This record gives sequence, structure tokens and C-alpha cells, in this order.
Amino acid sequence: MAKGFKYGGYIGQILRVNLNNKGISKEPLREDWARDFVGGTGLGARIFYEEVGPKIDPLGPENKLMIMTGPANGTMIPSASRTAVCAKSPYTHSFFHSIFGGYLGPEIKFAGYDGIIFEGKASRPVYVWIDDDRVEIRDAEHLWGKNPFEAQEIIRKEIGDEEIHIATIGVAGEEGAPYAMILCDIRAAGRGGMGSVMGSKNLKAIAVRGTGGVTVPNLLRVYNTALRLNEFVATIPAVKGLSDYGTPRNVAAMNEAGILPTRNWQTEVFKGMKNITGEAMREKVVKGDRACFACSINCTKYSVVPSGPYKSVINGADYETIYGFGSICEVDNIEALCKADELCDHYGIDLISTSLSIAWAMECYEKGIFTKKDTDGIDLRFGNADGMLKMIEKIGKREGLGALLAKGTRDASKIVGRDTIRFAIQNKGLEWPGHTCRPFPAAAVGYATGPRGGSHHDIRPTAEKSGLVDRKVIEGKGALAAEINHWLILCDSMLLCHLGEPIWGPIKISQNTIEALNAVTGWNLNYEQARKIAEREWNMIRCFSAREGFTREDDQLPIRFMEEPIPEGPMKGSYIPKETLERLKNDYYSYRGWDLKTGNPTKEKLIELGLEFAIEDIC
Amino acid sequence: MTRVKVKTFSVIRDVLGADVVEIAVSDPATVSEVFNALLRKYGEPFREKIWDPETGEMAPFLMRLNDEMISSKYDMNKQIKNGDEIAVIFPVGGG
Repeated sequence: MAKGFKYGGYIGQILRVNLNNKGISKEPLREDWARDFVGGTGLGARIFYEEVGPKIDPLGPENKLMIMTGPANGTMIPSASRTAVCAKSPYTHSFFHSIFGGYLGPEIKFAGYDGIIFEGKASRPVYVWIDDDRVEIRDAEHLWGKNPFEAQEIIRKEIGDEEIHIATIGVAGEEGAPYAMILCDIRAAGRGGMGSVMGSKNLKAIAVRGTGGVTVPNLLRVYNTALRLNEFVATIPAVKGLSDYGTPRNVAAMNEAGILPTRNWQTEVFKGMKNITGEAMREKVVKGDRACFACSINCTKYSVVPSGPYKSVINGADYETIYGFGSICEVDNIEALCKADELCDHYGIDLISTSLSIAWAMECYEKGIFTKKDTDGIDLRFGNADGMLKMIEKIGKREGLGALLAKGTRDASKIVGRDTIRFAIQNKGLEWPGHTCRPFPAAAVGYATGPRGGSHHDIRPTAEKSGLVDRKVIEGKGALAAEINHWLILCDSMLLCHLGEPIWGPIKISQNTIEALNAVTGWNLNYEQARKIAEREWNMIRCFSAREGFTREDDQLPIRFMEEPIPEGPMKGSYIPKETLERLKNDYYSYRGWDLKTGNPTKEKLIELGLEFAIEDIC
Repeated sequence: MTRVKVKTFSVIRDVLGADVVEIAVSDPATVSEVFNALLRKYGEPFREKIWDPETGEMAPFLMRLNDEMISSKYDMNKQIKNGDEIAVIFPVGGG
């Protein structure tokens, strides 16, 4: 409500930075868009659709990089720490939102903005320093080539403020590597090549200091809501363990259930599991815990390997590191996984795409498609930690086989041929996280139809994985997937952390989410109204995909999941045959009111949701 | 009495103090009775990890009963026999 904005939780202002001409403008946030799309990803998608035309080059100056906050950011609502980076992805060619935790989003609010839009391209490397109202575009020639942490340290010294929050890219982003990430203090906007978009604009870093606050209509209501939700966080069984062991808390349990992806997803049981669990990590490398803004879970671990070949200091490892470099590459040395994590940060590359690309290459090596001639002499066997680490370095430098793997598994398999696409574990070009869909039909259709492809933040398998719903039933799973989409996108618009899924979901938008949104904004939404916002947001993103030319045919799963059942363990025999997926897609599209042939929203659905402006683009 | 082995992980394992514990259950034994026996033995720290304080109900999770996957929502009345092993697949969720 600062600057006279109608609703609580908002600043009422967007910062626009034109890197072509160094133009800086502060624009009022549209009240109708705030009400219809909330903030974060939803609002980002609406602005993006309006301002960026179809089929642009994602690494061209016409792409825009948007750093978006939400109305809950900067308040005491638990886990409202997230920040959304939105752009057209050079990796998936779809609208992409990569979300990270930490402190940057709240700091942007405190500086006086609901979001920042970077457009154009600077003629030379620059960084942008936002000090409340004062915004400077500064020279960054001296930062170019530095790793993200080095760049952050130099900027902090230059500005003389240890408390600023900084988003930086590494060398991979500078050079346009397809899956380069943005490192925001210690947290990563890892996925979809957002770092490459930033690098394509010659934008090395964004540093922010804010000294303002966020106004809400009734502070006592927000306080009481936050208090109740924090008590919930402290007591809810499914959240326990995150504080003690971080996100790897579930490694052992997942292996026991036969759903720990292993050996490039050839199986889902890992014999070396015991050495890479959250418990093993806590015993061997963890030195402390860290929390994001307004979060009482503190799931981030601070880990140190003090000496030896894997000497490293990281914030992690998170579950995706344990999965990607651990079970997927069959490396059971926790210290080596810490080193792998550190190397990805050093070069500024997404660790999920990096690890899955290496695992794909390991399978090529196993099958004799690659030999030591292809790998520059590296023994790329599954389980060889040193070979894996050497290959991360090669990807980071785009050197030798690393240059091929830096393109990701979809493009690499197109180049190599020989049917290697069958074990490229991606859809829509994005490599998969460590959450299987083979035994879980709702998760399967959620991954297939998700705008980003292999993202566990477009769908969550938790409802089926926990037994909350019957995983074996196919009927109704399209509807379940759609309602999971809705609670996720509403969280991504408020910028709440998905790890609070028992609070915010887990099978549909919860009353807790609606209460938090109403408390900070002063709205009085009921479930149907909140759901309609989320549905509008999801359809908005689908409109962008449709305008880019995506169709039903693009809603696929990795071939392995449609053709190869899990070969062992308690989930033995589980997979999603192609005909089952098509049936699930029909169910999903029907529930959404989308056209069964194209998979696009219909004219009637767009009118119902107030998205009439997209009719001529996609219908 | 029916004796079964219970395998747990993470914070639940921390409460039970070992990866696998053996527990005796009165006949006729069911999965539900196993959890009641564990609750009697390990008390409030165990309850806090398994029962939802808001609903008072057991949190949803999967279990492996020997070679079969079962769930806390649908299968608590399932009969068990001497020597069975139950692995509690909890917590779940992602990164």
C-alpha cells in the first residue's frame, strides 16, 4: 500500500531497466493485474505475454528478464522468501520461471519495487546497483570471467555494505551456455538457462539494498496468521526432518520404497544409498544450518570438506545434488557430491541438467557409444566420482565432450543419434529432478503437461507418494494434477516455498494459502475465487506455450518412463505406457476445458478466465 | 503375541534409536496395532513424528509390508503375522 497502492502487501511500483540506452523508469503496478495475477510468476507471465512477442530469440535483446516478488514477500508469513526469475527460456523455448529462496525478493520489496524488468542489451558488461530509490548501471568489465561468489565479494567491497543481496551469473551465463544459472547470494535460480538470458544482456549482477518496509492493512491479522502457520510448521509431521537433515532427509526412505532414481533411471534402487543419506551428510560434512527470510524450517545445510581431493565448502547438499550426482551417477561418496555441487556453483551451471547430462554420457559410455577417445581419456563409468568431477569441469568450460553435454541431453542425443534419445531423461528439453512418476499417474500427466517439462515444481508427486491418494487408480488423476498445478502456481505468485506443501497444498489450494493471501492483501477471497486466479495464471502460461507453437504432441514423458518398467524393488513393474499417458492427457485437458486435439485452452475457457486478449493468438 | 520388525528412517529412526526395532503386538495383530504398540513404548516423541496435531490423525505415508506397498490411509487394518517386516516410508516430499 506504499505509494498509495490499493491493496496490501504490494509496493505499487515496477522498476524497468533498459540496458540498450541505460534508461531507468519506475512505473505504477496495474491494480487489475495485481488482483487477477497476484504477483511473482502469475504477474510475470501476464506482463511477459503483453510485452514480448512470439518466437523471439531467447538470447536476443528482445527477450526480457524479470525478477518478480509477491505480496507475501517481506512479511512474516512463513516461507515467503522466494523470488521468481521469469523469461523465455533458451533451453526449453517456453515461458520459464526459475524460483529461488533466500533474501533477494524481500530486499527488492524493501527497496520499493514489486518487480524489476531488464530489457535490451548493454554494450559492455554491467551490473545494476539498486539502493532504495537510487538505481545505477555500473561497469562490470572487472567482474566478467569471475565466478559468482568472487563477483559477489568484489561488489560487496565496492559498495561497502555486507548486508546487500546480490544475484550473479558465472562464466557459463556470460557465454550463453544453455543451462546456465543465476546464483542469488547462496541460493540458485538454477533451471531453464535464466543465467544465459542474463548473460546475453551483458548483465553480470544485480545488487539490492532496501531500507523500507511492506505495508499490510491489518498487522494483527498478519501476525496471528503467521503465528498460527509457524506453530503448524513446528508440529506437522511431514515437515519434521527438514530442519535436522535438510531435503536429503528422505533419501533412505525413497530407496526403501524403490523410488530413488539410479543409474540414469535404469533402476530406482541404489545399493550405495547408505553413504549419501541426510543422516550420512549430517555425520560427515554438515557444519551448520541456514534459513531463508521468514522461514522457521531452516532446511539449508552448510557443509565443509576440509581437505583432500574433494575439499569444498557449500550450502547444501540438497536432495537434487544427492540424486543427480549420487544415485543417478552411482557415486556413493558424500564428499565427492559436495565437490560436484561446488563446481556447479563455480561455473554457474544448473546441477540437475549437468548431472543428468553426465549420466546420459555415462550410459553412452557403458553401451560403447562413447569411448575414451570421445571423453578425452576420462573413464566415464557409472560410479567413478573422479570421472564425473572432471566432466563437470569440461561442461563448465564447454571443452571437448563437455561442449556437447552443455547443450543438454535432448540436443546432445540429436547430434549423437544412435537412438540415444531413448535414455535422455528430459521432456520439453528439461532434464528431470529426482522424483519419479513411473508409479504415480497424476505426477506423470503433471510432468508431461507442465510448461517447463522436467520440473517437480509444476507438479508434486507427494499426494501419491505419501498414500494420501491411491496411486494405482488412473481415473481422476487429470483433475488431481490440475489442482496440484493450482496450489503450486498460487504459491509461486505469492512466493511461498513449496517445501511447506503440507501447509499450502498438498492436493489443492489450502485454506492456509488463502488466509495468508487475504491477510497480506486485505482481500476476502473464498476458495473458488482463489482457485480461479490460479487457473487463470496456469492458462496464461499455456497461452504463451501455444503461441510459441507447442501442442498436445509436446506433452510427453521421457521415453524410458513410457517403455521401461522399474526393474526391481517394491515398485517393480511400474511405468506409464504411452496409451496410459494419452488417456491421462485426455482426462487432464477435459478437466481443464482445453481442446483435446491441440491441448490449447478453448475460446470459451479464455473468456471465462478473462484472457480474451489471447483468443486471436491461439484459437 | 506376534513379533514384527519395524524399519524407520530420518527423524522417526532417531526416536526409535535404531534402524530396525522389534516389537510385540497382541493378537489378532494388525498394522494399526503395531503403531499403537510403538506409541506405548516410545511415547510422545513418537506421536509427534507420526500424528498430525491439527487433525489428530496419522499422517499419510506409505509402508512396505514385506514385499507389498501399503498406505497409512487405507491399510491400517491389514493383518500381520509373526516375523513380518514393516518399513515406514516417511518422511516424503521433495527438494
